[in-house]
Amino acid sequence: MSAEPGAAAMLPRAESARGGRGDPEAPTRWDILRRSGTFWAGSGIVGFWALAAIFGPRLVPWDPYATDLLHELAPPSAAHWFGTDQLGRDIFSRVIAGSRDILTIAPLATLLGALAGVTLGLAGGYLGGLIDIVLGRIIEVLVSLPLIIVALLVIVALGPSAVTVVIVIGLVFAPLVARTVRAAVLGERALDYVAVAELRGESAFTIMFVEILPNIMGPVLVEATVRLGYAIFTVASLSFLGFGIQPPSPDWGLAIAENYGVIAGGYWWTVAFDAAATASLVVGVNLLADGLHGALTA
Amino acid sequence: MGGGWGGWFARRISLSLLTLFLLSLVVFAGGQLLPGNVGRAILGPLADPRAVAALNHQLGADRPPLVQYLGWIGGILHGNLGRSLEFRSPVAPFIGAALVKSLKLAAVAAIIVVPLSIAAGVAAALSAGTLTDRVISLAGLSLTVIPEFVSSIVVILIFSVWLRVLPISAAWPAGADPFEQIRHLILPAVPLVVVLFGYIARMARAGTIEALEADYTRTAILKGLPRFVVLRRHVLRNALLPTITVIATQTSYLVGGLVVVETLFRYQGIGSLILTAAIGKDFPMLEAGILTVGAIYIGVTLIADALAILLNPRLAPGMAG
Amino acid sequence: MPRPYSMIDPLRRRLGPLENHLVDELLAGRLSRRSFLRRASVIGLGGPMLAAVAAAFGPWSAPLAQAATGKPDTTIRVGTSVPAGAIDPVTVGDAGGLLMLQQVGDFLVYDQPDLRLAPMLATSWKPNPDGSVWTFRLRPGVKFHSGKTLVADDVVATMDRLADPKNASNALSVFQGVLSKGNTKKIDEHTIAFHLDAPNGNFPYYVSSDNYNAIILPADYDGNFEKTWDGTGPFRIEKYIPKVGASFVRNQDWWGGPVLPARTEFSFYDDQQPQVLALQGGQLDIVSQIVVQGAQGLLNDPDIAIIKLEASTHRQLHMRCDIPPFNDKRIRRALALTLDRPAIVAGLFRGLSDLGNDSPFAPVYPATDKSVAQRHQDIAQAKALMAAAGSKGFAVTLTTEQYQEMPDYAVLIQNAAKEIGIEVSLKIETQSAYYGDAVFGRSDWLDSPFGMTDYGHRGTPDVLLAAPLTSRGSWNAAHFKNPEYDRLVADFVAAIDLSSQRAIAGKIETLLLDETPVVFAYFYDYLTAARKSVSGAQPTAISQLFLQSASAG
Repeated sequence: MSAEPGAAAMLPRAESARGGRGDPEAPTRWDILRRSGTFWAGSGIVGFWALAAIFGPRLVPWDPYATDLLHELAPPSAAHWFGTDQLGRDIFSRVIAGSRDILTIAPLATLLGALAGVTLGLAGGYLGGLIDIVLGRIIEVLVSLPLIIVALLVIVALGPSAVTVVIVIGLVFAPLVARTVRAAVLGERALDYVAVAELRGESAFTIMFVEILPNIMGPVLVEATVRLGYAIFTVASLSFLGFGIQPPSPDWGLAIAENYGVIAGGYWWTVAFDAAATASLVVGVNLLADGLHGALTA
Repeated sequence: MGGGWGGWFARRISLSLLTLFLLSLVVFAGGQLLPGNVGRAILGPLADPRAVAALNHQLGADRPPLVQYLGWIGGILHGNLGRSLEFRSPVAPFIGAALVKSLKLAAVAAIIVVPLSIAAGVAAALSAGTLTDRVISLAGLSLTVIPEFVSSIVVILIFSVWLRVLPISAAWPAGADPFEQIRHLILPAVPLVVVLFGYIARMARAGTIEALEADYTRTAILKGLPRFVVLRRHVLRNALLPTITVIATQTSYLVGGLVVVETLFRYQGIGSLILTAAIGKDFPMLEAGILTVGAIYIGVTLIADALAILLNPRLAPGMAG
Repeated sequence: MPRPYSMIDPLRRRLGPLENHLVDELLAGRLSRRSFLRRASVIGLGGPMLAAVAAAFGPWSAPLAQAATGKPDTTIRVGTSVPAGAIDPVTVGDAGGLLMLQQVGDFLVYDQPDLRLAPMLATSWKPNPDGSVWTFRLRPGVKFHSGKTLVADDVVATMDRLADPKNASNALSVFQGVLSKGNTKKIDEHTIAFHLDAPNGNFPYYVSSDNYNAIILPADYDGNFEKTWDGTGPFRIEKYIPKVGASFVRNQDWWGGPVLPARTEFSFYDDQQPQVLALQGGQLDIVSQIVVQGAQGLLNDPDIAIIKLEASTHRQLHMRCDIPPFNDKRIRRALALTLDRPAIVAGLFRGLSDLGNDSPFAPVYPATDKSVAQRHQDIAQAKALMAAAGSKGFAVTLTTEQYQEMPDYAVLIQNAAKEIGIEVSLKIETQSAYYGDAVFGRSDWLDSPFGMTDYGHRGTPDVLLAAPLTSRGSWNAAHFKNPEYDRLVADFVAAIDLSSQRAIAGKIETLLLDETPVVFAYFYDYLTAARKSVSGAQPTAISQLFLQSASAG
C-alpha cells in the first residue's frame, strides 16, 4: 500500500483485478467462464448494444436525426414509444442508435491506454531504476487528481473532438494500466524462466514482450476490461458536461445534457431511457469484467 | 521505531511537496494551452483589442508566463495563494468557500455511505458464499460503475419530479438553516454514495473474512465466547480499521471528483470553481484550486498510510517506502 | 385629420426643421404614434409639443412601469447570473455585472423598453444641425451616495474614462469612431457638449442605459468600485459577496423621488434551473432573465407573470464570402431559403420572438423598413439557385458556441441544409474556445467558413450594421466586403430624420437579402419572470432591472 499510496483511489475495481488468489482445485479457465452467470449476463448486455451500434440506425422506426418542431416534447405513445425530445426527435430511435459513438470512442481509448500501459508497466517492472521512479511519480500526480478534471482541462485546451477524447483517456489510463502490469511483472521476474532467458542472453525487449507478457495476459485482459468500463463511464460523463461526443449525435450522455433543463417541467421521458441505457451498458461491461476476472485469475 | 517514524515522515512529506510542485508545473503548463486570455475573458468577445491589451497589462497577464509562474510560486512560499485575475481580489476566500461547500456535500455522502456499506460488507462476509453475499457483492460491483449523472437523473426523477419531496438543485436559498441545507444535499449525495458503496462494502467484506479466519478469532471461538462478542471484539475491530483507512483514500474523489455532481445540481463547490477558473483563464485561481485538491489528497493518503502501518506492524517504517 | 392638425399647428412655428419633419411624418401616416414618440425622444423634442401631439392622438403609452399595487417598504428578492469578474464600471461586460452597476448608478438618459429615450441625469438634449455636436443639460441638485453634488466635470470624467484606449474600457468599442477622449466638453456646471468624430443621428443612445458601462461616476473615481459603490442611483450598497450575492438599501435622497422597496437582495446562480425553482418555491420574487429553453413550465404557471420585451437579441449565421463553398451569393441565398423560420421560432421560443429577414434591422427598430418582403422557406428556389451556381451540394462544418438554444438551432440548420445537398457537420465549442483571441487569424468565430455567433440586444442598429458587416468591421466573420454597403451604412448612421433613415434602411435590407452574408433568422424577446404579487419592476433588454418602483405583495 505504501509503495503506491492510494493506488486504487479513484478506480475501485483496479483492486480486485490485482487481488484474487487461485483455488488449487479450480477447473479450467474456460469451464469457470462457461459457468459464470455474470459473464453471460454481461456478454448479453454488451452484445445487444454492440449490435445496436452496428445495425440500430438502419432498423429503428424513425430517423434518429429528423427534427419535428410541431411534435416536440411529446410523451410516450404508440407512434413514439419513448416520446420525443425538445426538437421533436424520436427518443426510442435515438436511444437505440445512441450506442454507436460511445462504443467506438471508449474501446479505442482503452486500446490506446492498454498498449501504452503494458509497455510502460513492462519497462517499469522489469527494468526498474529511473523508469520505475518516474512512473511512480506520474501515477501519484495522476491519482491525486480526479480523472474527469484532468480530462476536462486538456479538452478545454485542445477543443472537444473524438480524437482528443480518445487520446486524453488513453493517456490518463496508461499509467494506471502500467501499475497493474508492473505488479504482475514483479511477480514473474523472480521466476526461473526469466532467469533462464537472461542466461541465454536474450535482449530485454524479447524477455519483456516474448517471455513475460504471455504469462501476464490474464491480469492484462481483466485490467483492460475494467478500464473499458471506466472509459465508458468517462466518455459518458464528458459528453454530459459538453466536452465529449458532440451534437447532433444521439449519444446518451449528450441527450441527458440537452434535455436535463426541461425535466423540472415533468418531461421525464427525455432523460429516463438514456439514463437506463447508459447504466445497462456500464453494468454489462462490469459484469463481463467480473466474469473474466473470476476465470482468468483463477 | 521512533527514529524510523521521523525519517519516514520526513521522506513522505518531501515526496509530497515534490509531487505538489510537479502538479503546479503541470497545471501551469496546461494553463498556457487554454484558449483565450484573461483580459478577453473579462471584457468579452466584442471588446476593443486595445482595451483587452490594457486590461491584461493592468493584471500583469501580459508578462512572460515564466515570470507569472515564478511570481505566483514566490507568493506561495510566503503563504499567499495569489489574487484572482477575474475578481481582482485574493483567491483564498473563494477557495475556502468552495471547499466548505464541497466538504458539506462530502460529509453528507460519507454519513450515508460509511455505515451503509460497512454493514453490507460485514453482512456479506458473515454469509459468505450464500445468495445474500452474491447479491450484495454484485449490487456493489454494478453500482460502482454507474456514472454520477445517471444515478443523479434517477433520483431526481423519483424524488423531485414525481414525488416532489426533495429539491432538484443543491443551491439552497440565502439564509437557509442547516436542516434546509442538508435537505438540499441529500440528492446530490446519492450519486457519490452509489459510486463509493460497492468499493467500501468490498473492503469491509474482505477485511471481515480475513478477521474471521484469523487465529485470534478461532481461539476466541474455541474458548467458547458467544458469537456476538467474538464479532464485536475481534472481527469488527480488526476488519473496520483497515476499511476506514481505505475510505480515507477516496477523499480525492469526494473532494474533487464532484465536477459532474456539482454541475448537475448547480452547486458551487471546488469542482465547479476549478472548471470556471479554467474557462476564465484565471491562472492563480486554477492553480490554487487544483493544488488544494491535490494537497488534501496527499495529506489524507499520508495519514491513511501511517494508520495502516500502525495497524499492521509488518509494514513498519524502514521496510516500506 | 383636421382636428389634430389645428391643435398642433400653432406650436409648429417654434420647432426647427428636424422636429417639423417628424410631425409631418406622423400626420402623413408614414409614422406610427409609437415610432414618432421614439424618434421625438432621440432628437430631444419634448414639453408642450409632445403634450399637444398626445392630446391630439389619444392617451400616452404606458408610463415607465405599471403602478405599484403591493406593499411598499418590502425586500425584493432577485435571482440573476453570477457577475463574471470584479464589479468595475469600466470593464464590466456581462449581464450579472451590469445589473449590479445599474442598481447604484444612473445614466444620462434612460432607454425605455419601447426604445423611447427618457431623461435621467440629463433633463434635455439637442443636436446641432448636422448631428455632429450634441448638447446635454444636467439635472441640478443630484447627489452621489458619498454626498458630493453631480456637476458637469463628473460627466466629462466619466466619458473620457470610457473613451480612453489606455483604460481597459468595455465601452471603447461602442465609442469607436463616435466619441474620442477629450471631446466631451463642459460648457457650464450643468451643460456639456459632445463633439463627435462623425455626425450621428442616434447619439443619445450611446450615453443611455444601452451603454451599460456609462453610469455617471464622481470625477475622482479611483478605480476601486467595490470599495465605494458610489453612484447617484436609487439604491446604496449594503453588502456584496462575489459569486454569492448582493444586497442594497434604498437611497432616501434619490433625485427621482421616493424609492418603494426598503431593500433589494440579489442571489447569484450559475444556471437558470435553480432560479426557476426558487421562484416557483417562493424563495425569489423575480428572476431577472429567463430563456424559453428549460422554462417551459414557467410559461404556464398561474402564479408567475412573464414580463416580455421585444428586443433585437439574435444569432448571426455567417458564411465566409471570400472562400469556397460560400463565395457565391446564390449558394448563400439558397441556404437561407432552406430555413422554416416560423417553425424555428415556434419550436425554440414558443413563438416569443420576431422573424429575422437576414439583416440587422429587427422589427423592433423604428427605422426598419417593413415593406421589404420577408424571406420564407422555398426549397424549390433554393435548389434552382444551387443548380445555377453549378453546385450539387458539398460538406461543410458549422462552428458555434455551447450557449442557450444555439446547439439546437444548429441541428435545425443542419437538417434544413440537407434538403439541398449541403451536408453540415457541427463543431460546438465553449464560448471561450469559439471566440478565441477575438481577432482575425486567432479566433474560430472570425475565421470559420460557416459559424454562428450570439449577439445581445442593442437600442439602435448602428453597431450591428457596422462592426459585423462593413469591409473593415472588426467582427466581420463573414468577410463581407461591399463598398456600396459601407456607403449606405455611413449614410444611415449620419441620417438624423427618421424618413431618410428608413429609406436607407430599405436599401440596406434589399442589398443584404441579395448578398446574404449572414442569416438573421430571429430576434427573440427578452423575458423576465416574476411572481404575480410583484409589481412595478422594470427590466430592459440590455439585462438591467429597475426596481425603484417595485413592490411585492
